[in-house]
Amino acid sequence: MGIKRIKWLRFRIILICIVFFSSFLAIFVKGYQLQVLKRDELYKRAYMQQRRNITQQPRRGNIYDRRGEILATSVDVKSIYAQPNRINNLNYALVNLARVLDTDPHKLEKSMVSNKSFVWLKRKVFPDQVEKIRKLEIKGIEFVLEPRRFYPNRELAGHLLGFSGLDSRGLEGIELFYDDYLKGKIGRFVVGRDGVGRNLFTEKGKDSFFDGGDLVLTLDKGIQYIVEKRLKKLVQKTRAKGGTVIVMEPQTGAILAIANQPDFNPNTFWSYRPSNFRNRAVTDTFEPGSTFKPILFAAAMEEGIVKENDLFFCENGQYEYHNKVIHDVKKYGWLSFKDVAKFSSNIGATKIGEKLGKDSYYIYIKNFGFGNKTGIDLPGERSGQVRSVRSWSNVALGTASFGQGITVTALQLVCAVSAVANGGNLMKPYLVKEMVDHKGQITGRMYPEVVRRVISEKTASRVVSLMEEVVKKGGTGSKAAISGYRVAGKTGTAQKVDTATRKYSKDKYVSSFVGFVPADEPRFSILVVIDEPKGVPYGGTVAAPLFKEIASEILYYLGIPPKVEIVKKESDHKLYAGSKVGRPLTDFVFEEDQDWNLEGRETLFPNFSGMTIRQVLKVAERMKIVIEIVGSGRAVDQKPKPGTIFEAGRKFQVKFQPSSA
Amino acid sequence: MTKNDQNSRKVGGQSFYYDARLLFPVLFLVGIGIVMVYSASSALAFKKFGTEYYFLKKQLLFALLGIVALIICSRFPYRFFRSLTYPLLILALIFLAVILITGLGYSAGGAKRWFRLGSFSFQPSEFARFALIIYLAYSMNKKKDVLKDFYVGFLPHIMILCMFTVLIIFQPDFGSVVILGVLAWIMLFVGGVRLSYLLTSLALIIPAGYFFMVSADYRLKRITSFLDPWQHSANDGYQIVHSLMAFGTGGIWGTGIGKGYQKLFYLPEPHTDFIFSVIGEELGLWGVLIILGLYILIFWRGIFIAGNCKDSFGSFVAIGLTTAIGLQVCVNMGVALGLLPTKGLTLPFLSYGGTSLLLNMASIGILMNIGTAKKVLKKPKVSKT
Repeated sequence: MGIKRIKWLRFRIILICIVFFSSFLAIFVKGYQLQVLKRDELYKRAYMQQRRNITQQPRRGNIYDRRGEILATSVDVKSIYAQPNRINNLNYALVNLARVLDTDPHKLEKSMVSNKSFVWLKRKVFPDQVEKIRKLEIKGIEFVLEPRRFYPNRELAGHLLGFSGLDSRGLEGIELFYDDYLKGKIGRFVVGRDGVGRNLFTEKGKDSFFDGGDLVLTLDKGIQYIVEKRLKKLVQKTRAKGGTVIVMEPQTGAILAIANQPDFNPNTFWSYRPSNFRNRAVTDTFEPGSTFKPILFAAAMEEGIVKENDLFFCENGQYEYHNKVIHDVKKYGWLSFKDVAKFSSNIGATKIGEKLGKDSYYIYIKNFGFGNKTGIDLPGERSGQVRSVRSWSNVALGTASFGQGITVTALQLVCAVSAVANGGNLMKPYLVKEMVDHKGQITGRMYPEVVRRVISEKTASRVVSLMEEVVKKGGTGSKAAISGYRVAGKTGTAQKVDTATRKYSKDKYVSSFVGFVPADEPRFSILVVIDEPKGVPYGGTVAAPLFKEIASEILYYLGIPPKVEIVKKESDHKLYAGSKVGRPLTDFVFEEDQDWNLEGRETLFPNFSGMTIRQVLKVAERMKIVIEIVGSGRAVDQKPKPGTIFEAGRKFQVKFQPSSA
Repeated sequence: MTKNDQNSRKVGGQSFYYDARLLFPVLFLVGIGIVMVYSASSALAFKKFGTEYYFLKKQLLFALLGIVALIICSRFPYRFFRSLTYPLLILALIFLAVILITGLGYSAGGAKRWFRLGSFSFQPSEFARFALIIYLAYSMNKKKDVLKDFYVGFLPHIMILCMFTVLIIFQPDFGSVVILGVLAWIMLFVGGVRLSYLLTSLALIIPAGYFFMVSADYRLKRITSFLDPWQHSANDGYQIVHSLMAFGTGGIWGTGIGKGYQKLFYLPEPHTDFIFSVIGEELGLWGVLIILGLYILIFWRGIFIAGNCKDSFGSFVAIGLTTAIGLQVCVNMGVALGLLPTKGLTLPFLSYGGTSLLLNMASIGILMNIGTAKKVLKKPKVSKT
């Protein structure tokens, strides 16, 4: 090879090298441009394509009653969505989807012909429809699990529970009031996505997600059931416009049951009129009428202006009072204070009110909680109307004395009467007992809260005695009496204001009864309000019997043993066992319609004390149990103790002693 | 063997000369390639074969075979290739013809480019490239003095090239044709074929190439989408756009090995044609620089060997092999970066692919052999002990 040739070769090689090195340089420059200069723009584009914001719906918390029975829960159902940009054969998809979902294909088309990558087709679909659509195998139709609210007891406690809508948002009742707690926290995640659109892994936002918490109510499903069943029957029977019953624990303010008519099934709330959703117990106000009188009596006795035996002249049923005439249902002459209560004389009440004075009375009305919201954990509570005392005319004082001219909610009334029942403390009513978060930890527990002491314990027990008179023979509330138990109560029959004439209507009444059992140590107080019953409107004839029905059944349900009158004053069991009981105990009679059959249900061992052997054997026969008899005379002791829950195969023994031993 | 010669090592008692400046960059690239092939292909492998290691395992095997091929070729006196010129040429033509005519061709993506041998496939166009390099080197060396003559020095070479071109273009594999054409052009240029012939051929080829591009719809689309990829990002610009986004996402430092997104079914062929994009995304600009630097080292060493070879056959072979690697690098990277329209070309040493890896590593072996041969010729070693 000649030198020249080699030089030429090298020259050409260098030329080629120059070309290659410029190419390498170009590659580097382009790389620098993409990775440094245009980095943000390109990264943004890539990020938008690769990441997807997804939300994870939290599971809405359950609602339980006090015994742990489920009242509201969430079940997972499938929802269908479409990704229109992925659908290949749109016509095929439209026709078939419309057929399965039973809709118009054209309507579907409108929502589908868009460049959206997400369109809901149908939310919360039944499993059979899901299966049918799955079988169509349309690309771009996807399913996602969504929780659906389910109320297993249908109408039961519907007004209290309320309901939640499609997006798991509480719309009424507890569902609304505790929505923040029940709903949990939606998880918003950024999820990586691969080139064919599958989600990969979560990038961030995981900590913020959590399921909703559970609520445990003070409500008792059994009591609620009793109350609803009885109320519904009565409202139907009396063809009333509506009705409300509240059952409350007087010592604590815990709500045991609230029932309203008309009712609704929260599972299908959309098929009812919104007026059905109203929880009348807190959202509706009414003039209470005579059921309000215990407040007056309590005030008057606390102020010491009347005694049980003070006499009031009841004007023979017609009392001209500041140019107005006040009537009583029956004509009374002189009545003792006790009898004013017992017979519910409006004229008597007016005179007591006059004696008390409006300023003093007003303070008690306010102290008992009227005119203010009780603060219960339910939405839509009203405060009722108690006009300022300065604007009270003399007539207003008179009418207020028998519960007209002021409006209250049923809840306020039952709270006020419960204050009398528990010895004088106004309790704040509450419905949620415990809050249990998604980890199962109790995050909130509600304790009874005393709003204020309104009357002394002594006054309270005197008012209770007056209210017991009401239920006794001859009293207006005698139909509320339950044999074997001490019942205290008060009837009420209030005229309604006719919205058209703005005057008291002649035929529209609110019939009510408020009371508690047992009177000396009340386990529950009940208010019954029946709105516009047809026929005889009196509280004593409409509301009192319902009170009795409900109370008897609850007593039975709770296993509260009856007490014979004579025993009530004996504080010690042993004392009465050897006491000289002279009075015959035959007034304690089992009601014939009481069902003592034990088969298939939980029941309680009755109290036999004071019964003869023959009576005990009769009960035993009805209950289909065998009782061992020891001794003779009247029953003085028994095994097991009264109120014990029956267990099959257990031995029963009753001891007898001659009564005049 | 002298102690001061740092580029030579004694292995197993036998004299074995190897060029560290060539070997280490290559091994480094192959190593990076194995890691990146795994990173890029695991998702795809899992989807297709149920195991994420499918491509990794095969690439490891090819790398081992490649090292063996490299060692053998470095020990195999390159001059023997002269006598193998025509057998290689005929073998390459037969392969190409068979793949085209018979049903043995294994098609992927509408193009018949591979032979299937069991679970392995073989790409004849890669082999054809090697055969062409040997042929041109042999022919130009033989015709040294009459190379300037059109009928002796230019036409036969062009005719052989055309035979290859025609066979490959019907696969169709336009990328390989371009590489082959440019490679032949460079070799003829360096070999000393008259410049006027070469320039004239360019003037003829460019309109023909243009006509060819326009004639096939998919090739035309590649051009239009190359010019404005964002406009066609939904269909024809898809690959380029995602490759560009990969580089952008990587930035200077990269997302980290395995953390890229584009390989997850955004980029087609992330472990072969677009492995450079995956590198750009996961290793960033510094990774790109290192890779580019390693290629430059190899290229520079190859050119050095070519320039210092006293035997013009060796020199031509070295030029051919080096520029073949350099061309593949430039075209593959250029495509990935959006500088060139998309072509189905792999990145030497890095991309997944048995034929490519084996032949490229064999090329390095041959280059090393040419390099050592020069030393033996120029300065015969004398043992001092």
